[in-house]
Amino acid sequence: MKKLRPFSFGRFILLALYLLGAILPLYWIMVTSLKGPKEIYTMPLRYIPSPITFASYAKLFSFSSFSLYFRNSLVISLVSSLFAMMISVLSGFALSRIKRRKMKGVLQLALYFTQTIPTFILMVPLFTIFSKLGFVDSKAALMVVYVSTVIAFCTIMSKGFFDRIPVSLEEAARIDGCSMFQSLFRVVLPITRPGMAAIFCFAFINIWNELFLAVMLLMSDKNMTVPVALNSFISKAGISWDVMSAGIVIALLPTMIVFGFGQKYIVAGLTEGSVKG
Amino acid sequence: MMEQKYYRWMLAPALLLLTAFIYVPVIRGGVMAFQNYNLFDMNDLRFIGFQNFVSVITDKNINFFQILWNTAVWLFGSLFFQFVLGFGLALLLRKPFLGRGIYTAFVFYGWALSGFAIGLTWSWLFNGQFGLVNDLLMRVGILNSPIGFLSNPNLAMISVIIPNIWYGVPFFGIMLLAALQSVPNELYEAATLDGAGSIRKFVSVTVPYVKPTIVSSILLRTMWIVNFPDIIYAMTNGGPVNKTNILATQMINKVFKEYDYGQGSAFGLIIMVLLFAYAVIYLRLTEKDGGENL
Repeated sequence: MKKLRPFSFGRFILLALYLLGAILPLYWIMVTSLKGPKEIYTMPLRYIPSPITFASYAKLFSFSSFSLYFRNSLVISLVSSLFAMMISVLSGFALSRIKRRKMKGVLQLALYFTQTIPTFILMVPLFTIFSKLGFVDSKAALMVVYVSTVIAFCTIMSKGFFDRIPVSLEEAARIDGCSMFQSLFRVVLPITRPGMAAIFCFAFINIWNELFLAVMLLMSDKNMTVPVALNSFISKAGISWDVMSAGIVIALLPTMIVFGFGQKYIVAGLTEGSVKG
Repeated sequence: MMEQKYYRWMLAPALLLLTAFIYVPVIRGGVMAFQNYNLFDMNDLRFIGFQNFVSVITDKNINFFQILWNTAVWLFGSLFFQFVLGFGLALLLRKPFLGRGIYTAFVFYGWALSGFAIGLTWSWLFNGQFGLVNDLLMRVGILNSPIGFLSNPNLAMISVIIPNIWYGVPFFGIMLLAALQSVPNELYEAATLDGAGSIRKFVSVTVPYVKPTIVSSILLRTMWIVNFPDIIYAMTNGGPVNKTNILATQMINKVFKEYDYGQGSAFGLIIMVLLFAYAVIYLRLTEKDGGENL
């Protein structure tokens, strides 16, 4: 019989300090975005904005096409993560069920190897490849690239989820006359739904946050994503922190929400992917 | 053996994408490192041997060895504290308590945030006039007037490492917590019967059991930190006077500012070779101690 031990005092203090440290920077950028420009630049600082104003957000959306950038980011991230999830369901399932040992090993090594390649090393060659093919400044091209950059880890995660599902389940379905695809889609996939959600969340978070490839491959204002837009705000002489903080909050919120919903599954998937290597 | 044929088709889309947009570009990038490839000089595209590497290493404006040193400081400064604080967090979270689920969500969510936006957030916190850090230090009485953390050559590196530590603690927390929770309780019970105290239990039971996770997560994180220019790019972009310039930010600048793709690719290749050497030595050293092969 285990009993829930009450906090020791030291443990409580430490937990509180971690929480404070984790929240403070985010609290501060949120608070800044809710202040008026005058209040932002007055010392000593006020830790709670009064009055709360959404003027920074209004300014952000009026002085730039920020709603367009937000839509671009959302479409690019959603579509690419959806494709990444679908493709990695197939590849992860195959990798999990494949019987030839050697082939399995080689494939896994090839997947892990991509994890050592930083995406920014790809930006120059990708740029030259796409300009030769005539796909400069194309959102579609960027989406294909994004799917490719996350697909290796998504496959590793997805294989981990399928590994846990006994093959006997499919075999039973096969005996009942299901084809392989039917047994995958009707029997196996419904059980791995949380796993699929984790893969989607993982892909979405990584793609939403990506900056350098987007800067390299997108050129025109109408195609910009949120990080690219924030980057362009820096270069415009002197950051005005009211608008900037509002932009940062909007850049952070979607992945916070996704992580909030998918946390349990993402954590399971992450540890599955890299610990079991 | 019908399935084996199906499997091949199921793997095809993923492998096709990886080949076309990861493997081929990496090789292409490796080739470009040996070419004169400048956007301003595209008529003069030719192989120049190791010229890019020579130019990069002897460049008077940037001092290559300072960049190497900065990269090492950035790596080990961040890694050490990310690991220690992440391990500490995982240990605190191992035993259940009321509200642990919500608590972990709050301390782990940093993992999901954009490194670039986090860099921007911290550059506001460290702002030389109206930053929160200055304000707090002045209230406590440590400072009389605000200081420019990011413009001071002696403080800049610490000021970019702190956000990186903040950003990396959740990763170690997540990994090590999962490993800690897999330690069988019987081991602790046996140790208790043998009269082991809590420190002894930590050293002789916990650490050996989670060691494979420690070894592999430190290696993964090392590669990740070296390949992570986002925070520095957002905060100082390598300045002041190159004090925070690491290999990765220098490569970005070669590409974004100078459009010198040849030298940029040379930096990329240098990073990959160094990391590869590091991984080989690291795995060799940890292998004997039961480290897990990646």
